[in-house]
Amino acid sequence: MGKAFDPSLIIEFIPTLFHYLGVTLQILAASIFLGLILGVAAAIPRMFKIPILNQLVILYVSFIRGTPILIQLFLVFYGLPAVLQIIKIDVSKLEAIYFVIITYAISNGAGFSEIFRGAIRAVDKGQTEAAYSVGMTSTQNFFRIVMPQALRIAFPNVANSVIGSLKDTSLAFTIGVMDMMGRGDTLISATAHALEVYISLSIIYYSVVLLFEKTLGKLEKYFNRYQKADLSAAA
Amino acid sequence: MTIDIPFIWTAFKEIIKSLPITLILTLVPLAIGFLIGLTVALVRIYKTRFLYQAANGYVSFFRGTPIIMHIMVIYYGIPLLIDQVSSKFDLNIQTNKIPIILFVLIALSLAAGAYLSEIIRSGIISVSTGQLEAAYSVGMTKYQAMFRIVLPQALALSIPNFTNLFVGFLHTSSIAFLVSEKELTGAANIVASTNLKFLEAFIAAGIVYWGLTIMVEGISFLLEKKVTSYSRGGVS
Repeated sequence: MGKAFDPSLIIEFIPTLFHYLGVTLQILAASIFLGLILGVAAAIPRMFKIPILNQLVILYVSFIRGTPILIQLFLVFYGLPAVLQIIKIDVSKLEAIYFVIITYAISNGAGFSEIFRGAIRAVDKGQTEAAYSVGMTSTQNFFRIVMPQALRIAFPNVANSVIGSLKDTSLAFTIGVMDMMGRGDTLISATAHALEVYISLSIIYYSVVLLFEKTLGKLEKYFNRYQKADLSAAA
Repeated sequence: MTIDIPFIWTAFKEIIKSLPITLILTLVPLAIGFLIGLTVALVRIYKTRFLYQAANGYVSFFRGTPIIMHIMVIYYGIPLLIDQVSSKFDLNIQTNKIPIILFVLIALSLAAGAYLSEIIRSGIISVSTGQLEAAYSVGMTKYQAMFRIVLPQALALSIPNFTNLFVGFLHTSSIAFLVSEKELTGAANIVASTNLKFLEAFIAAGIVYWGLTIMVEGISFLLEKKVTSYSRGGVS
Protein backbone atom coordinates (compact mmCIF):
# COMPACT_ATOMS: atom_id res chain seq x y z
CA MET A 1 0.00 0.00 0.00
CA GLY A 2 2.76 2.55 0.56
CA LYS A 3 6.36 2.59 1.50
CA ALA A 4 7.68 2.08 5.01
CA PHE A 5 6.48 4.59 7.59
CA ASP A 6 8.87 7.50 8.01
CA PRO A 7 8.00 9.90 10.84
CA SER A 8 10.45 12.55 9.68
CA LEU A 9 8.35 13.02 6.56
CA ILE A 10 5.45 14.23 8.71
CA ILE A 11 7.46 17.26 9.74
CA GLU A 12 8.72 17.69 6.20
CA PHE A 13 5.23 17.71 4.70
CA ILE A 14 3.72 20.24 7.10
CA PRO A 15 5.21 23.41 5.52
CA THR A 16 4.22 22.26 2.01
CA LEU A 17 0.66 21.59 3.08
CA PHE A 18 0.46 24.64 5.32
CA HIS A 19 1.04 26.74 2.24
CA TYR A 20 -2.43 25.74 1.05
CA LEU A 21 -4.21 26.64 4.28
CA GLY A 22 -5.05 29.97 2.63
CA VAL A 23 -7.29 28.26 0.09
CA THR A 24 -9.11 26.42 2.88
CA LEU A 25 -9.59 29.65 4.83
CA GLN A 26 -10.75 31.45 1.67
CA ILE A 27 -13.45 28.84 1.11
CA LEU A 28 -14.41 29.10 4.77
CA ALA A 29 -14.55 32.91 4.90
CA ALA A 30 -16.49 33.29 1.65
CA SER A 31 -18.99 30.57 2.49
CA ILE A 32 -19.57 31.84 6.02
CA PHE A 33 -20.10 35.40 4.79
CA LEU A 34 -22.54 34.36 2.05
CA GLY A 35 -24.13 31.88 4.45
CA LEU A 36 -24.83 34.64 6.99
CA ILE A 37 -26.62 36.71 4.35
CA LEU A 38 -28.56 33.69 3.14
CA GLY A 39 -29.36 32.72 6.73
CA VAL A 40 -30.87 36.12 7.51
CA ALA A 41 -32.80 36.07 4.24
CA ALA A 42 -34.14 32.61 5.00
CA ALA A 43 -35.00 33.38 8.61
CA ILE A 44 -37.24 36.35 7.73
CA PRO A 45 -40.01 34.40 5.93
CA ARG A 46 -40.01 31.87 8.76
CA MET A 47 -40.42 34.48 11.49
CA PHE A 48 -43.06 36.56 9.76
CA LYS A 49 -44.77 33.45 8.35
CA ILE A 50 -44.83 34.80 4.79
CA PRO A 51 -46.94 32.27 2.85
CA ILE A 52 -45.24 30.14 0.16
CA LEU A 53 -41.80 31.55 1.01
CA ASN A 54 -42.20 30.09 4.49
CA GLN A 55 -42.87 26.61 3.07
CA LEU A 56 -40.01 26.95 0.60
CA VAL A 57 -37.59 27.81 3.39
CA ILE A 58 -38.83 24.85 5.44
CA LEU A 59 -38.18 22.60 2.44
CA TYR A 60 -34.75 24.15 1.89
CA VAL A 61 -33.66 23.72 5.50
CA SER A 62 -35.04 20.19 5.65
CA PHE A 63 -33.21 19.19 2.48
CA ILE A 64 -29.89 20.63 3.61
CA ARG A 65 -30.21 19.00 7.04
CA GLY A 66 -31.31 15.76 5.38
CA THR A 67 -28.47 15.19 2.95
CA PRO A 68 -24.71 14.79 3.39
CA ILE A 69 -22.54 17.72 2.40
CA LEU A 70 -20.79 15.45 -0.07
CA ILE A 71 -24.05 14.87 -1.96
CA GLN A 72 -24.81 18.60 -1.87
CA LEU A 73 -21.37 19.27 -3.29
CA PHE A 74 -21.96 16.89 -6.19
CA LEU A 75 -25.46 18.23 -6.80
CA VAL A 76 -24.17 21.80 -7.09
CA PHE A 77 -21.16 20.76 -9.13
CA TYR A 78 -23.20 18.81 -11.68
CA GLY A 79 -26.54 20.53 -11.25
CA LEU A 80 -25.70 24.24 -11.33
CA PRO A 81 -24.23 24.19 -14.87
CA ALA A 82 -27.29 22.28 -16.08
CA VAL A 83 -29.68 24.74 -14.46
CA LEU A 84 -27.78 27.81 -15.64
CA GLN A 85 -27.62 26.46 -19.15
CA ILE A 86 -31.38 26.87 -19.37
CA ILE A 87 -30.93 30.63 -19.01
CA LYS A 88 -27.96 30.50 -21.36
CA ILE A 89 -25.17 31.09 -18.88
CA ASP A 90 -22.15 28.94 -19.43
CA VAL A 91 -20.34 28.11 -16.20
CA SER A 92 -18.51 25.02 -17.39
CA LYS A 93 -15.23 26.92 -17.28
CA LEU A 94 -15.80 28.16 -13.74
CA GLU A 95 -13.17 26.96 -11.29
CA ALA A 96 -14.21 24.21 -8.90
CA ILE A 97 -13.58 26.41 -5.86
CA TYR A 98 -16.61 28.55 -6.71
CA PHE A 99 -18.86 25.50 -6.67
CA VAL A 100 -17.46 24.62 -3.29
CA ILE A 101 -18.10 28.11 -1.95
CA ILE A 102 -21.65 28.08 -3.30
CA THR A 103 -22.35 24.67 -1.78
CA TYR A 104 -21.00 25.56 1.63
CA ALA A 105 -22.80 28.92 1.56
CA ILE A 106 -26.10 27.17 0.83
CA SER A 107 -25.39 24.63 3.53
CA ASN A 108 -24.34 27.20 6.11
CA GLY A 109 -27.28 29.42 5.22
CA ALA A 110 -29.73 26.71 6.23
CA GLY A 111 -28.00 26.18 9.55
CA PHE A 112 -27.70 29.89 10.25
CA SER A 113 -31.36 30.56 9.48
CA GLU A 114 -32.37 28.05 12.15
CA ILE A 115 -29.85 29.48 14.61
CA PHE A 116 -31.07 33.06 14.06
CA ARG A 117 -34.70 32.07 14.36
CA GLY A 118 -34.03 30.23 17.60
CA ALA A 119 -31.97 33.10 18.98
CA ILE A 120 -34.63 35.72 18.25
CA ARG A 121 -37.27 33.55 19.86
CA ALA A 122 -35.02 33.09 22.87
CA VAL A 123 -35.03 36.80 23.66
CA ASP A 124 -37.43 37.38 26.53
CA LYS A 125 -40.79 38.76 25.45
CA GLY A 126 -40.62 41.25 28.29
CA GLN A 127 -37.82 43.03 26.43
CA THR A 128 -40.13 43.76 23.51
CA GLU A 129 -42.92 44.83 25.84
CA ALA A 130 -40.54 47.15 27.66
CA ALA A 131 -39.37 48.64 24.36
CA TYR A 132 -42.93 49.29 23.26
CA SER A 133 -43.82 50.77 26.63
CA VAL A 134 -41.13 53.44 26.23
CA GLY A 135 -42.57 54.26 22.81
CA MET A 136 -40.25 52.45 20.40
CA THR A 137 -41.55 51.43 17.02
CA SER A 138 -41.35 47.77 16.05
CA THR A 139 -38.34 48.46 13.79
CA GLN A 140 -36.52 50.26 16.58
CA ASN A 141 -37.41 47.47 18.95
CA PHE A 142 -36.02 44.85 16.57
CA PHE A 143 -32.76 46.58 15.70
CA ARG A 144 -31.98 48.17 19.05
CA ILE A 145 -33.34 45.73 21.58
CA VAL A 146 -33.99 42.27 20.19
CA MET A 147 -31.25 41.86 17.59
CA PRO A 148 -28.24 42.77 19.78
CA GLN A 149 -29.39 40.26 22.39
CA ALA A 150 -30.19 37.63 19.78
CA LEU A 151 -26.71 37.96 18.30
CA ARG A 152 -25.22 37.26 21.69
CA ILE A 153 -27.39 34.18 22.10
CA ALA A 154 -26.66 32.98 18.57
CA PHE A 155 -22.91 33.44 18.77
CA PRO A 156 -21.86 30.10 20.34
CA ASN A 157 -23.91 28.19 17.78
CA VAL A 158 -22.52 30.23 14.90
CA ALA A 159 -19.03 29.58 16.23
CA ASN A 160 -19.74 25.84 16.28
CA SER A 161 -20.98 26.03 12.71
CA VAL A 162 -17.83 27.84 11.64
CA ILE A 163 -15.65 25.14 13.16
CA GLY A 164 -17.81 22.39 11.67
CA SER A 165 -17.61 24.11 8.32
CA LEU A 166 -13.83 24.33 8.58
CA LYS A 167 -13.68 20.58 9.02
CA ASP A 168 -16.14 20.07 6.17
CA THR A 169 -13.93 21.99 3.74
CA SER A 170 -11.70 18.91 3.80
CA LEU A 171 -14.19 17.36 1.35
CA ALA A 172 -13.74 20.07 -1.29
CA PHE A 173 -10.92 18.12 -2.92
CA THR A 174 -13.44 15.53 -4.15
CA ILE A 175 -14.44 17.89 -6.96
CA GLY A 176 -10.84 18.83 -7.66
CA VAL A 177 -10.14 21.90 -5.54
CA MET A 178 -6.48 22.48 -4.73
CA ASP A 179 -6.79 23.10 -1.00
CA MET A 180 -4.77 21.37 1.72
CA MET A 181 -6.44 18.03 1.05
CA GLY A 182 -6.01 18.43 -2.70
CA ARG A 183 -2.34 19.20 -2.27
CA GLY A 184 -2.09 16.23 0.07
CA ASP A 185 -3.54 14.04 -2.66
CA THR A 186 -0.89 15.12 -5.16
CA LEU A 187 1.80 14.62 -2.50
CA ILE A 188 0.57 11.07 -2.04
CA SER A 189 0.73 10.32 -5.74
CA ALA A 190 4.20 11.82 -5.88
CA THR A 191 5.70 10.17 -2.79
CA ALA A 192 3.41 7.21 -1.98
CA HIS A 193 3.58 8.17 1.70
CA ALA A 194 -0.16 8.42 2.33
CA LEU A 195 -0.11 7.90 6.08
CA GLU A 196 2.46 10.62 6.72
CA VAL A 197 0.51 13.09 4.57
CA TYR A 198 -2.71 12.42 6.45
CA ILE A 199 -1.00 12.71 9.83
CA SER A 200 0.48 16.06 8.77
CA LEU A 201 -2.93 17.21 7.60
CA SER A 202 -4.50 16.11 10.89
CA ILE A 203 -1.93 18.12 12.80
CA ILE A 204 -2.63 21.23 10.73
CA TYR A 205 -6.40 20.88 10.99
CA TYR A 206 -6.22 20.24 14.71
CA SER A 207 -4.03 23.29 15.29
CA VAL A 208 -6.32 25.52 13.25
CA VAL A 209 -9.43 24.19 15.01
CA LEU A 210 -7.83 24.75 18.43
CA LEU A 211 -6.89 28.29 17.42
CA PHE A 212 -10.43 28.96 16.23
CA GLU A 213 -11.93 27.51 19.41
CA LYS A 214 -9.70 29.71 21.58
CA THR A 215 -10.41 32.87 19.59
CA LEU A 216 -14.14 32.32 19.31
CA GLY A 217 -14.30 31.42 23.00
CA LYS A 218 -12.64 34.75 23.87
CA LEU A 219 -15.09 36.60 21.63
CA GLU A 220 -17.98 34.82 23.30
CA LYS A 221 -16.74 35.96 26.70
CA TYR A 222 -16.50 39.49 25.36
CA PHE A 223 -20.10 39.42 24.08
CA ASN A 224 -21.28 38.18 27.45
CA ARG A 225 -19.40 40.81 29.44
CA TYR A 226 -22.60 42.53 30.60
CA GLN A 227 -24.30 39.30 31.57
CA LYS A 228 -24.58 38.48 35.22
CA ALA A 229 -22.35 35.68 36.36
CA ASP A 230 -23.81 32.20 36.53
CA LEU A 231 -26.14 31.55 39.43
CA SER A 232 -23.88 28.84 40.70
CA ALA A 233 -20.99 31.28 40.85
CA ALA A 234 -23.11 33.83 42.70
CA ALA A 235 -24.30 31.39 45.32
CA MET B 1 -27.01 18.53 -20.70
CA THR B 2 -30.62 17.95 -19.81
CA ILE B 3 -32.00 16.24 -16.79
CA ASP B 4 -33.27 12.74 -17.49
CA ILE B 5 -36.08 12.44 -14.94
CA PRO B 6 -36.95 8.75 -15.53
CA PHE B 7 -33.31 7.87 -14.95
CA ILE B 8 -33.55 9.23 -11.40
CA TRP B 9 -35.96 6.38 -10.65
CA THR B 10 -33.66 3.83 -12.32
CA ALA B 11 -30.73 5.15 -10.31
CA PHE B 12 -32.84 5.18 -7.15
CA LYS B 13 -33.61 1.47 -7.51
CA GLU B 14 -29.94 0.72 -8.04
CA ILE B 15 -28.69 2.91 -5.19
CA ILE B 16 -31.20 1.72 -2.58
CA LYS B 17 -29.64 -1.76 -2.80
CA SER B 18 -26.60 -0.46 -0.91
CA LEU B 19 -28.70 0.94 1.92
CA PRO B 20 -27.69 -1.92 4.29
CA ILE B 21 -24.03 -0.90 4.08
CA THR B 22 -24.86 2.69 4.93
CA LEU B 23 -26.96 1.49 7.86
CA ILE B 24 -24.12 -0.74 9.09
CA LEU B 25 -21.73 2.19 8.76
CA THR B 26 -24.09 4.29 10.86
CA LEU B 27 -25.37 1.89 13.51
CA VAL B 28 -22.22 -0.08 14.35
CA PRO B 29 -20.03 3.00 14.99
CA LEU B 30 -22.77 4.57 17.10
CA ALA B 31 -23.21 1.39 19.16
CA ILE B 32 -19.46 0.98 19.76
CA GLY B 33 -19.10 4.72 20.14
CA PHE B 34 -21.77 4.71 22.83
CA LEU B 35 -19.72 2.31 24.96
CA ILE B 36 -16.57 4.36 24.39
CA GLY B 37 -18.44 7.58 25.00
CA LEU B 38 -20.03 6.38 28.23
CA THR B 39 -16.66 5.23 29.58
CA VAL B 40 -14.94 8.44 28.57
CA ALA B 41 -17.75 10.58 29.97
CA LEU B 42 -17.58 8.81 33.34
CA VAL B 43 -13.80 9.15 33.41
CA ARG B 44 -14.12 12.84 32.73
CA ILE B 45 -16.86 13.38 35.30
CA TYR B 46 -15.11 11.50 38.11
CA LYS B 47 -11.76 12.98 37.04
CA THR B 48 -10.04 9.59 37.29
CA ARG B 49 -6.33 10.13 37.63
CA PHE B 50 -4.13 9.75 34.50
CA LEU B 51 -7.07 8.53 32.46
CA TYR B 52 -8.66 11.97 32.76
CA GLN B 53 -6.00 13.73 30.68
CA ALA B 54 -6.01 10.96 28.11
CA ALA B 55 -9.80 11.16 27.82
CA ASN B 56 -9.68 14.93 27.38
CA GLY B 57 -7.03 14.63 24.71
CA TYR B 58 -8.95 11.94 22.88
CA VAL B 59 -12.20 13.92 22.80
CA SER B 60 -10.49 17.16 21.83
CA PHE B 61 -8.44 15.58 19.04
CA PHE B 62 -11.25 13.59 17.47
CA ARG B 63 -13.65 16.51 17.62
CA GLY B 64 -10.97 18.84 16.31
CA THR B 65 -10.04 16.98 13.13
CA PRO B 66 -12.20 16.14 10.12
CA ILE B 67 -13.56 12.59 10.19
CA ILE B 68 -12.06 11.94 6.76
CA MET B 69 -8.65 12.18 8.47
CA HIS B 70 -9.56 9.46 10.96
CA ILE B 71 -10.71 7.20 8.16
CA MET B 72 -7.60 7.83 6.06
CA VAL B 73 -5.09 7.53 8.90
CA ILE B 74 -6.63 4.24 10.05
CA TYR B 75 -7.09 2.97 6.51
CA TYR B 76 -3.40 3.49 5.73
CA GLY B 77 -2.00 3.16 9.23
CA ILE B 78 -3.40 -0.12 10.56
CA PRO B 79 -2.22 -2.27 7.63
CA LEU B 80 1.27 -0.80 8.00
CA LEU B 81 1.22 -1.53 11.71
CA ILE B 82 0.01 -5.10 11.22
CA ASP B 83 2.53 -5.69 8.47
CA GLN B 84 5.34 -4.55 10.71
CA VAL B 85 4.21 -6.66 13.65
CA SER B 86 3.64 -9.73 11.50
CA SER B 87 7.02 -9.48 9.81
CA LYS B 88 8.70 -9.16 13.17
CA PHE B 89 7.02 -12.20 14.66
CA ASP B 90 6.69 -14.15 11.44
CA LEU B 91 2.94 -14.14 11.59
CA ASN B 92 1.47 -14.70 8.20
CA ILE B 93 -1.24 -12.06 8.11
CA GLN B 94 -2.15 -10.60 4.77
CA THR B 95 -3.40 -7.11 5.37
CA ASN B 96 -4.87 -6.72 1.91
CA LYS B 97 -7.34 -9.47 2.80
CA ILE B 98 -8.86 -7.36 5.57
CA PRO B 99 -12.13 -5.86 4.31
CA ILE B 100 -11.97 -2.08 3.99
CA ILE B 101 -15.25 -1.66 5.84
CA LEU B 102 -13.50 -2.78 9.03
CA PHE B 103 -11.13 0.20 8.91
CA VAL B 104 -13.99 2.57 8.25
CA LEU B 105 -15.95 1.09 11.16
CA ILE B 106 -12.99 1.50 13.53
CA ALA B 107 -12.43 5.11 12.46
CA LEU B 108 -16.09 6.05 12.70
CA SER B 109 -16.45 4.31 16.08
CA LEU B 110 -13.57 6.30 17.53
CA ALA B 111 -15.03 9.53 16.17
CA ALA B 112 -18.52 8.63 17.42
CA GLY B 113 -17.08 7.86 20.86
CA ALA B 114 -15.64 11.35 21.13
CA TYR B 115 -18.85 13.07 20.07
CA LEU B 116 -21.05 10.80 22.20
CA SER B 117 -18.94 11.32 25.30
CA GLU B 118 -19.61 15.06 25.09
CA ILE B 119 -23.34 14.46 24.70
CA ILE B 120 -23.50 11.98 27.59
CA ARG B 121 -21.36 14.21 29.78
CA SER B 122 -23.56 17.25 29.24
CA GLY B 123 -26.60 15.06 29.84
CA ILE B 124 -25.22 13.86 33.17
CA ILE B 125 -24.30 17.38 34.20
CA SER B 126 -27.79 18.64 33.47
CA VAL B 127 -29.44 16.18 35.87
CA SER B 128 -30.07 18.16 39.03
CA THR B 129 -27.89 17.42 42.04
CA GLY B 130 -31.02 16.97 44.15
CA GLN B 131 -31.54 13.64 42.38
CA LEU B 132 -28.12 12.46 43.47
CA GLU B 133 -28.65 13.68 47.02
CA ALA B 134 -31.99 11.90 47.18
CA ALA B 135 -30.37 8.69 45.93
CA TYR B 136 -27.64 8.91 48.59
CA SER B 137 -30.18 9.71 51.28
CA VAL B 138 -32.02 6.43 50.68
CA GLY B 139 -28.69 4.63 51.02
CA MET B 140 -27.69 4.00 47.42
CA THR B 141 -24.04 3.59 46.63
CA LYS B 142 -22.27 5.92 44.22
CA TYR B 143 -22.48 3.25 41.54
CA GLN B 144 -26.18 2.60 42.09
CA ALA B 145 -26.99 6.31 42.08
CA MET B 146 -25.18 6.80 38.79
CA PHE B 147 -26.59 3.81 36.94
CA ARG B 148 -30.10 3.75 38.38
CA ILE B 149 -30.89 7.41 38.93
CA VAL B 150 -28.64 9.79 37.04
CA LEU B 151 -27.85 7.96 33.80
CA PRO B 152 -31.42 7.06 32.82
CA GLN B 153 -32.45 10.69 33.19
CA ALA B 154 -29.31 11.93 31.46
CA LEU B 155 -29.87 9.67 28.47
CA ALA B 156 -33.54 10.67 28.20
CA LEU B 157 -32.52 14.33 28.24
CA SER B 158 -29.95 13.66 25.53
CA ILE B 159 -32.36 12.22 22.96
CA PRO B 160 -32.43 15.35 20.76
CA ASN B 161 -28.62 15.43 20.77
CA PHE B 162 -28.45 11.72 19.98
CA THR B 163 -30.78 12.27 17.03
CA ASN B 164 -28.59 15.05 15.68
CA LEU B 165 -25.55 12.84 16.01
CA PHE B 166 -27.33 9.90 14.41
CA VAL B 167 -28.26 12.02 11.42
CA GLY B 168 -24.75 13.46 11.38
CA PHE B 169 -23.20 10.01 11.24
CA LEU B 170 -25.69 8.84 8.65
CA HIS B 171 -24.34 11.66 6.51
CA THR B 172 -20.75 11.14 7.54
CA SER B 173 -20.88 7.54 6.34
CA SER B 174 -20.94 9.01 2.83
CA ILE B 175 -17.22 9.76 3.26
CA ALA B 176 -16.58 6.02 3.16
CA PHE B 177 -17.03 6.12 -0.60
CA LEU B 178 -13.66 7.88 -0.80
CA VAL B 179 -12.01 4.62 0.26
CA SER B 180 -14.13 2.83 -2.38
CA GLU B 181 -16.76 1.51 0.00
CA LYS B 182 -19.96 0.76 -1.92
CA GLU B 183 -22.48 2.47 0.34
CA LEU B 184 -25.17 4.89 -0.87
CA THR B 185 -22.82 7.57 -2.17
CA GLY B 186 -20.40 5.02 -3.57
CA ALA B 187 -23.24 3.25 -5.36
CA ALA B 188 -24.48 6.58 -6.70
CA ASN B 189 -21.01 7.31 -7.98
CA ILE B 190 -20.86 3.96 -9.77
CA VAL B 191 -24.31 4.41 -11.32
CA ALA B 192 -23.31 7.93 -12.32
CA SER B 193 -20.05 7.08 -13.97
CA THR B 194 -21.27 3.96 -15.79
CA ASN B 195 -24.21 5.87 -17.30
CA LEU B 196 -22.53 9.30 -17.41
CA LYS B 197 -25.56 10.73 -15.65
CA PHE B 198 -24.02 12.33 -12.58
CA LEU B 199 -26.74 14.77 -11.64
CA GLU B 200 -29.56 12.24 -11.81
CA ALA B 201 -27.65 9.67 -9.74
CA PHE B 202 -26.82 12.14 -6.99
CA ILE B 203 -30.38 13.47 -6.94
CA ALA B 204 -31.52 9.89 -6.32
CA ALA B 205 -28.92 9.46 -3.56
CA GLY B 206 -29.99 12.77 -2.05
CA ILE B 207 -33.60 11.61 -1.94
CA VAL B 208 -32.60 8.40 -0.14
CA TYR B 209 -30.63 10.30 2.50
CA TRP B 210 -33.35 12.89 2.89
CA GLY B 211 -36.01 10.23 3.37
CA LEU B 212 -33.87 8.40 5.91
CA THR B 213 -33.25 11.61 7.84
CA ILE B 214 -36.92 12.50 8.00
CA MET B 215 -37.70 8.98 9.19
CA VAL B 216 -35.03 9.11 11.90
CA GLU B 217 -36.27 12.48 13.10
CA GLY B 218 -39.85 11.21 13.23
CA ILE B 219 -38.89 8.14 15.24
CA SER B 220 -36.85 10.25 17.62
CA PHE B 221 -39.76 12.63 18.15
CA LEU B 222 -42.05 9.74 19.13
CA LEU B 223 -39.37 8.22 21.32
CA GLU B 224 -38.74 11.48 23.11
CA LYS B 225 -42.44 11.92 23.75
CA LYS B 226 -42.66 8.43 25.26
CA VAL B 227 -39.48 8.60 27.32
CA THR B 228 -40.07 12.02 28.80
CA SER B 229 -43.77 11.48 29.44
CA TYR B 230 -43.04 10.78 33.13
CA SER B 231 -40.79 13.72 33.70
CA ARG B 232 -42.90 16.54 32.33
CA GLY B 233 -44.04 18.94 34.98
CA GLY B 234 -47.42 20.54 35.45
CA VAL B 235 -50.81 18.88 35.57
CA SER B 236 -51.62 16.25 33.00
